[in-house]
Amino acid sequence: MYRYDEFDHKIVTDRVNQFRGQVNRRISGELSEDAFKPLRLMNGVYLQLHAYMLRVAIPYGTVSSKQMRMLAHIARKYDRGYGHFTTRQNIQYNWPALDRIPDLLEELASVEMHAIQTSGNCIRNVTADQYAGAIADEIEDPRIISEIIRQWSTFHPEFSYLPRKFKIAVTGHENDRAAIKLHDIGIVIVRNDKGETGYEVHVGGGQGRSPFIAKKLTNFVPAEKLLAYLEAVMRVYNMLGRRDNSYKARIKILVHETGETEMRRLVDEEFERIDASQMLSLPEAELDRISAYFAPPNYENLPAQSEVFEAAKGSNADFNHWVKTNLVPHKTPGYGIINISLKPIGGIPGDATDVQMDIIADLAERYALDEVRVTHEQNLVLPHVKLDEAKEVYDILCAHDLATPNIGLISDTIACPGLDYCNLANARSIPLAQEISTHFADLDKQYDIGELKIKISGCINACGHHHVGHIGILGVDKKGTEFYQISLGGSADEQASLGDITGQAFTEDKVVDAVDTIVETYLNLRQPEERFLDTYRRVGMSPFKEQLYAD
Amino acid sequence: MPTKTHLISNGAVIDDTWVLIDDETPLDDTPAIISLDRLKAEADALRSRNAKIGVVIRTNTQGKTKLGEDVRELAPYLDMLSTIAIDFPVYRNGRGYSDARILREEMGFEGELRAIGEVLFDQWSFMARCGFDTFEIDASIPVEKFKEALNELSEAYQPAVDNQRGVLWRRHGL
Repeated sequence: MYRYDEFDHKIVTDRVNQFRGQVNRRISGELSEDAFKPLRLMNGVYLQLHAYMLRVAIPYGTVSSKQMRMLAHIARKYDRGYGHFTTRQNIQYNWPALDRIPDLLEELASVEMHAIQTSGNCIRNVTADQYAGAIADEIEDPRIISEIIRQWSTFHPEFSYLPRKFKIAVTGHENDRAAIKLHDIGIVIVRNDKGETGYEVHVGGGQGRSPFIAKKLTNFVPAEKLLAYLEAVMRVYNMLGRRDNSYKARIKILVHETGETEMRRLVDEEFERIDASQMLSLPEAELDRISAYFAPPNYENLPAQSEVFEAAKGSNADFNHWVKTNLVPHKTPGYGIINISLKPIGGIPGDATDVQMDIIADLAERYALDEVRVTHEQNLVLPHVKLDEAKEVYDILCAHDLATPNIGLISDTIACPGLDYCNLANARSIPLAQEISTHFADLDKQYDIGELKIKISGCINACGHHHVGHIGILGVDKKGTEFYQISLGGSADEQASLGDITGQAFTEDKVVDAVDTIVETYLNLRQPEERFLDTYRRVGMSPFKEQLYAD
Repeated sequence: MPTKTHLISNGAVIDDTWVLIDDETPLDDTPAIISLDRLKAEADALRSRNAKIGVVIRTNTQGKTKLGEDVRELAPYLDMLSTIAIDFPVYRNGRGYSDARILREEMGFEGELRAIGEVLFDQWSFMARCGFDTFEIDASIPVEKFKEALNELSEAYQPAVDNQRGVLWRRHGL
C-alpha cells in the first residue's frame, strides 16, 4: 500500500489547517453560507436534508487495518456509530457537527487519509478495480497509476473550478469491475505488441439525466505521457465545457455535442502542445517509487488446494454456499479473495457499524495481509486470505452479520441514500432495496435466479447507477407521490450498456411485484446457463413488457 | 463582486493607472483596457497610438453557446499588450485559469496578467500558480492577508506557471 512521505503529510496537514480557518470564518459569520459552500464542498462537506454530511476519500478503494479502525473510531466519536460506503469507494458520515469536522480531519490525517476533493466541481477521488493486485491476469496493478493521478489532481490549480465534477476510474484487467466506461475518464491498462505497458483512455461516459457510454479517444498512451494526456483532456473540457446549464456541464455532453472525432482532434492538438514542454513527463524514478509500494506482499508458498478448506466446504453447507458467491480465486496458489457483503437481507446497502468496521480491521490484520478494499458495488473485500483460514474468517464474519452469501445476486443491490438523507432525491431508495431483498430472502431462490444486479436511484442524478442495473429502478416524483421507473438490460462492465425503460412508472406498492414479474419472466425464458442479462439481450424487451403491463 | 476594490500586484498594493474603456468611448492617452473585439477591429490604429494598451478577456455564461472569448485570438497582438485582464464573472467559473496558463506557457506572454471580477480569498493561490500576478480584490482585505492566503498550501504536486516543478518531480531532485 502507498505510504505518505513528508510532502504528502505536509499537503494534507496544510489542508486541515486551511479548512479549520475557513470553518472559523464561517462560524464567526465572516463567511456567508454562500461563500462557504464551495470551500466546504472542496473538503467533502455537504449540507444534507437533516445535517452536514462528510465524505471521506478512500483512494482507489484501498485501506489498511489501521485506517479502517480510524473509520470506525470516527463513526463512534463524530457520528451515530455507523458509516456508509459509497459507489465511488468512499465512506460517508451523515451526522458530523460542522465545528468538529476540522478535528475529525486532523484525526484522519494522522492515518494518511483525507476528504480532499470528494465533492465540488473538481477531479474527484480516483477509483479502481477492487481486486487490484490479487486477481490473476492483471496487466498492471491499477493502483499505481491511480495514486499518481491522485497526486497530480490534488489541488490542481487549473482544474479546481471545472464546469462540473469530474470522475476518473482505472482498471488493469480485461474484466472491468470499476465501471470505467461510465466515468468522465476511464482508463484501461493495456500492453502493446512491443510488450510495453500503457493506457487506453475513454472519455465522456456518465449517468445522470443524459447517460452515455464513454468514447475511446486513444488506444495507447505510454506511462510517462499519461499526465500530459489527462491534462489535455481536462483543458479542452475546461475551455469548451458548458457552464450555462449544470445538467449539460459534464464532459459527456461536450463529447456528445462535439462528436467523437472532433473531440479526439482537439485533445490530440492540446496534448501535442502540452507534451512539447516535457513539463508533465512523469519521471521513471517516481513511477518506480510508487510502484514499489504496490509490490506483491509476502505470500506463503502454499499448495493450490487446501485440505482444511475442502473439508470445511464438505461439512458445512452454509459455508459452501458462501464460498460459491463470496470467494473469488486469487492469483496466488492457496489464497482466496473474500467479499464481505454489506447487503444483509433487509439491511441498508453499504452501511457498516463501528463494531463491524473494527472487526473487519482485525480480520484484515490477522488474515488478509493488512488490507481491505471497498467496491463500487458497496461491499468490502479482504484481498489476500489463505484458503486454510477462510473458514475462521467466515465464522467471525457470521458472528457480526457480515457473511451474507449474496455477492452478485438479486439482494446485492446498489442504492443511493435517496429521500431518507438526500435533498436532491424524489423518492426513497433504501426502503425499496430493503423490501426487494426481503422479498427475495430465500437463498435457494436467489441461487436459482443467479447473477442479477439491481440498482436503485432516488432521482435522475443516478447515484444508484440505475442506468447500468440489469434491473434499474429510478425514483420519480409525480405531484408529490413517489413513482418508480424500471429499466432492463443495463450493465457497467466491459460490455457496458444502458438499460431500456420498460414503460409507464410503477407506484411504490407495485414495484416489488414488478421486479418479481420480471424475474419470473426471465426464469421462464432462460436457456441453460443463461444469466438474466444474457436472456434479456437475446429476447429483448417485449416479453417482459407483456407480462408487466398485462392488465 | 465587492463595490470597492484595490489592486495587488506582485505582493503589494499598487495604484491602478489603467482605465477599462467600453467600445463606444473614444480613447485618449490614458492606459486603456479595451475589449477583444475592439482590439481586433482597431489594431492598426492602436499600434501607432502613443499610450499603453491592455485587453479584457470575457468569460460569458449567458446564452446557450457563449463559453467566452478565446485567448488564442490574441496571438497577433501580444507584442502590443501591456496587460491582459481575465474576467471571472463568478468564482465558480474557472475557465480563466486555463486562459492564464495558455497565455503564459503556450503563448509566452510576459506582461501583466490580472484577475478581475469575483476574485476571492480561496482562489488567489490557484490563480497565482496559473500565472496571474495582479489581482483586483475587495479593498477591505489587507495585503498581508492576501499573502497569507497564497502560502496556505505550501507544496504542490503538479507543475504550473509558478516556479514549482511539482512534488512528483522534486522528490527526485528534478
